[in-house]
Amino acid sequence: MIVEQVAQHWAITLFVLAVFGLCAFMIGAASLLGGRAWGHKKDTPYESGIVPAGDAHQRFSVKFYLVAMLFVIFDVEALYLFAWAVSVRESGWAGFVEASIFIIVLLVGLVYLNRIGALTWAPRKRIKRETEKT
Amino acid sequence: MNLTTSHLIALLPLLIVGTTVIVVMLGVAWRRHHVASATVTVIGLNLALLSLLAVLNVTPLEVTPLIVVDKYAVLYMALILVASLACSTLAHAYLEGLDDQREEFYMLLLCATMGGLLLVSSQHLASLFIGLELLSVPIYGMAAYTYRDRTSLEAGIKYMVLSAMASAFLLFGMALLYAEAGTLSFSGLSARMSGGELSSAWTLMGVGMMVIGLGFKLSLAPFHLWTPDVYEGAPAPVSAFLATVSKIAVFAVLLRFFMTAPATGDGWLHTVIAIIAFLSMLVGNLLALTQNNLKRLLGYSSIAHLGYLLTVIVASDGLAIETAGIYLITYVATTLGAFGVVTLVSSPYQGPDAGQLYHYRGLFWRRPYLTAVLTLMMLSLAGIPLTAGFIGKFYALAIGVESSLWWLVAGIVIGSALGLYYYLRVMVTLYLHEPGESRRDATANWGQRSGGVMVLLLALAVLVIGIYPQPIISLVRSATLITAG
Amino acid sequence: MNLLFLIAVFPLLGALALAFFRRMPVNLAALVGVGSMGLAALTTAWVDIAFLTGDQTPFVQTLWTWVAVGTFTEDFALYLDGLTVTMISVVVGVGFLIHLFASWYMREDLKEQTGYLYTRFFCYMNLFVFSMLLLVLGDNLLLIYLGWEGVGLCSYLLIGYYYRVPANAWAAFKAFIITRVGDVFLAIGMFILFATFHTLDVQEILSRAPDMWQRGDLMVELAALMLLGGAVGKSAQLPLQTWLADAMAGPTPVSALIHAATMVTAGVYLIARTHTIFELAPFTLGLVGIIGAITLLVAGFAALAQTDIKRVLAYSTMSQIAYMFLALGVGAWDAAIFHLMIHAFFKALLFLASGSVIIACHHEQNIFKMGGLSRTLKLPYACFVVGGAALAALPLVTAGFYSKDEILWLAFANGHTVLWVAGLFGAFMTSLYTFRMIFIVFHGKENTHAHPARGIAHHLPLIVLLVLSTFVGALIHPPLGNVLPTEDLVEGSTMQYVLEVLSAIVAIVGVGIAAGLFLGKRRLVNAAVGTPTGMRLWHFFHNAWGFDWLYDKVFVKPYLGLAWLHRVDWVNALVNLVPGLARVLHWGLATTQNGRLRWYAGSISVGATVLLVLLVLG
Repeated sequence: MIVEQVAQHWAITLFVLAVFGLCAFMIGAASLLGGRAWGHKKDTPYESGIVPAGDAHQRFSVKFYLVAMLFVIFDVEALYLFAWAVSVRESGWAGFVEASIFIIVLLVGLVYLNRIGALTWAPRKRIKRETEKT
Repeated sequence: MNLTTSHLIALLPLLIVGTTVIVVMLGVAWRRHHVASATVTVIGLNLALLSLLAVLNVTPLEVTPLIVVDKYAVLYMALILVASLACSTLAHAYLEGLDDQREEFYMLLLCATMGGLLLVSSQHLASLFIGLELLSVPIYGMAAYTYRDRTSLEAGIKYMVLSAMASAFLLFGMALLYAEAGTLSFSGLSARMSGGELSSAWTLMGVGMMVIGLGFKLSLAPFHLWTPDVYEGAPAPVSAFLATVSKIAVFAVLLRFFMTAPATGDGWLHTVIAIIAFLSMLVGNLLALTQNNLKRLLGYSSIAHLGYLLTVIVASDGLAIETAGIYLITYVATTLGAFGVVTLVSSPYQGPDAGQLYHYRGLFWRRPYLTAVLTLMMLSLAGIPLTAGFIGKFYALAIGVESSLWWLVAGIVIGSALGLYYYLRVMVTLYLHEPGESRRDATANWGQRSGGVMVLLLALAVLVIGIYPQPIISLVRSATLITAG
Repeated sequence: MNLLFLIAVFPLLGALALAFFRRMPVNLAALVGVGSMGLAALTTAWVDIAFLTGDQTPFVQTLWTWVAVGTFTEDFALYLDGLTVTMISVVVGVGFLIHLFASWYMREDLKEQTGYLYTRFFCYMNLFVFSMLLLVLGDNLLLIYLGWEGVGLCSYLLIGYYYRVPANAWAAFKAFIITRVGDVFLAIGMFILFATFHTLDVQEILSRAPDMWQRGDLMVELAALMLLGGAVGKSAQLPLQTWLADAMAGPTPVSALIHAATMVTAGVYLIARTHTIFELAPFTLGLVGIIGAITLLVAGFAALAQTDIKRVLAYSTMSQIAYMFLALGVGAWDAAIFHLMIHAFFKALLFLASGSVIIACHHEQNIFKMGGLSRTLKLPYACFVVGGAALAALPLVTAGFYSKDEILWLAFANGHTVLWVAGLFGAFMTSLYTFRMIFIVFHGKENTHAHPARGIAHHLPLIVLLVLSTFVGALIHPPLGNVLPTEDLVEGSTMQYVLEVLSAIVAIVGVGIAAGLFLGKRRLVNAAVGTPTGMRLWHFFHNAWGFDWLYDKVFVKPYLGLAWLHRVDWVNALVNLVPGLARVLHWGLATTQNGRLRWYAGSISVGATVLLVLLVLG
């Protein structure tokens, strides 16, 4: 059965084979024929012309993750509103009420997060302590 | 479809619990207050429980293709609400001694309860999945709530990773079923299956994978390994929640699924579930034999009990729903009582819970009534007559005998014999002479606290059900399931 | 008549009160113990009068339904007829007198044997009377069996009353175990009767038995044999007789009440009560007589060689009950019951008097260490003479003469000549050993100093029983006419007078020989016992024909050997394999619980794979 298919699509098969062959030829010929330069600087990481400093395994504040997660959550929740937006007329007042409840719940969540200081980059206590120091 | 008033009434329990979450959240945002949060939670749950009376007037009713509220759902909703009420009173006693933020616990608990409520009334694979996740995700947080204690954190992480894995199986199974049947509703699946066109290997695989996913939540062998670790590590009220609400909800929906869509008459699926049940009974009881940690022991015990309960699904005949109801009620009352005592004994202390058996050595000489309660719960778990556990076990045996499932009956008998050994071992420990050191103790006035009152009430319930089970039986009999919807 | 149940209730209440208030003062305990018996005695008198003045028809009092299983129903019912009236009068009447005496005896006893509770004694005694009344009054075999076991239990408890001495506890053990052998037979007999009649109601069984069975059927013989087994055990007849002599370890009033007057005669009562069955079983009935005759002689010889005053009386009890068995065996039912009653009077008298002697001699029980007590202990001496005369059946003036000679005459008249000869020889033995005891204890050299007792509680029972042991007692005729088959033999024939004279001569000769042998220096006896053969013979009789030794060799030793073989308990070792297996499985499974997340996830995957493979392949 595969043979039949191959026979039917022989042109495409040939084309695919030709493409792979051309690629192999280009890379192979370049590596055989091209020259090669060696040097110390060539082995150092290249970052927009700036010499890198420090280790890549840096410890970030957990706040990054927290904020990122909260962003994703609200972002995804907002997606549901798109579904409502495209059918706002069809769903009518009932839809409006439901969407409002949804939004209110989200808002309450936001208020809660704000109140417990999840969105504050530096907790208030630390700000206080640092202002007292200076 | 249009939502009418009766639909809203049918959804009342869900709505009330959801509103309670919002209220507690706002309350915390305004000002942290432990007792207030606990009170609001308890009020919310009680209101939801009361609303069930109103719900009874509109049952059975389909609310959207996802949810059906019938008497069966109402019974399990009530059970879930009572269990989470008990857990929140226990949590209140437990969190008193915690030096950290306590109020979020109630939000998590309420969310999980909502998941349970949704689960028992779902008639669609989508709502099943939503309910299951809504139930499970807050439990991750609850299990790791006392995260300064390493075992608690470990329990949370373990449960989360493994639970995610189980959910993957579940979703894969659903996907396979959808691919074959083109529908996700139970009744639709049932219709396609009974037509005989769906007995292919893919359908079987789909149902099998769902069984794996749900079997994990029910901690059935061989997917049981997480149970003792999580039960041990999680705070005692969370273990109680995990052992009761989570199990009730998942089992209820599993039973509904199998009753509505009898997957494959008496094919291999049947045999496989019977094997799982038999294995669970043996494995749970054998593992508990020399266990020295009461919380782990209760974990193993729940594996065994779910094994007994699975007999119901294997039998799947007329008595099945009644048996499941009775068994779950007795099991829940007993387990809550046992974990309640553990909570009360652990509460006044920092650090890991009082799980080790030697913590309970000679408890009788210090707290005779509390010990009497724990003794009663152990007797009930062992299925001694005059306790609720006996009624449950009797039903399980009766249905096994009636359906001629001799292997499972043998399993129940062997399991009960093994069980007697370790339950009685716990009891003996309680009455030994008091050791000189390492004593843990409930507070002197435990009986006047809400947790203590709850534990005493449960003990009373276990006794009353054991001696006079007729009201419960007739209650469960009235909770009929709507199969064709 | 409706007060019937109260007779049993009073002793029960007394026992309960004494059991719950163990620390009550001695006087109060005596009041409760004796008072409850007094009330019971009054009620009994009331019931007796009501019965005797009435038409003497049987009376059934159903108290409540005891057992109801399916079609099987047993009532808790009391049954009263002439036989029962006789029995309850003996049990309660003699019982009351013994209780009264015991209140004195135990008080004296406390002075020497400290550390035993006065209340405990009366509690057991009252409980015994209650059980005995159940046995006698029971309307069905189940209730009779309950009483039967109850008296066995109380007998055990009271023999072991002085439990601080291990020998007494062993004696109690022995009595309990040996009578238990009999009880098993009785239970089997009940099973046979129940299997045949589907009821345990005595009267119904008795009325239907002649229709159900032919005379001499195998089943009826078997049933009668089993009942006989029970009776033999309780009444200390051959071959289950060995416990009675050891039972004398209990306090003397116990010996008087349980091991002379009432419990040991329960076997006689049982056979008389079920006489219809025995009449249908001629072989077993013959066996009853033969057992009686043999026991009579065995006990008589044994009594002759005893040194302990209570053991002499114990063997004499054995032989007197053997007379009753003999009477039953020859079909002289009413003579047996008559002798039962008379025997209760004089044997209780003898035991109580011996109790008085024992207390007076500071718990000395060896007759050879007493001697010459007739001068100090006037009342006990009189009691012993009258009681002994009744026991030996001295003619005309004693009660025993009338009852025993009726038995002998009926044995002869019914053609059982061999049994009659045995009975006559037994009568001779009886007067010989009885007066041997009296002469040794009360005559000759005074070996110990005795303190005569005082007090009404001591005197009254002795005097009442003393009077009843004379011909006065024989005037009481049990109202058995409607219950037991009467003899159609002509009273007062010449043959009867000849026989009575003969037995009177035998009894008097026995007394004379005893006087010759044991009054004075006892030269002849000492010489006879001094020879090796005499010594050996004396030991043989002293140990009651060596039955204990025989049973020890035949039953106890093999049993202990078997127990020794099973000391490892093979069955248990086999059973222990199950927990062992559980343990091995547990350890195997426990290694899977290693707490590693990766391992757990792996196990889920493996489990899932196996499950899916099973599903797809299946």
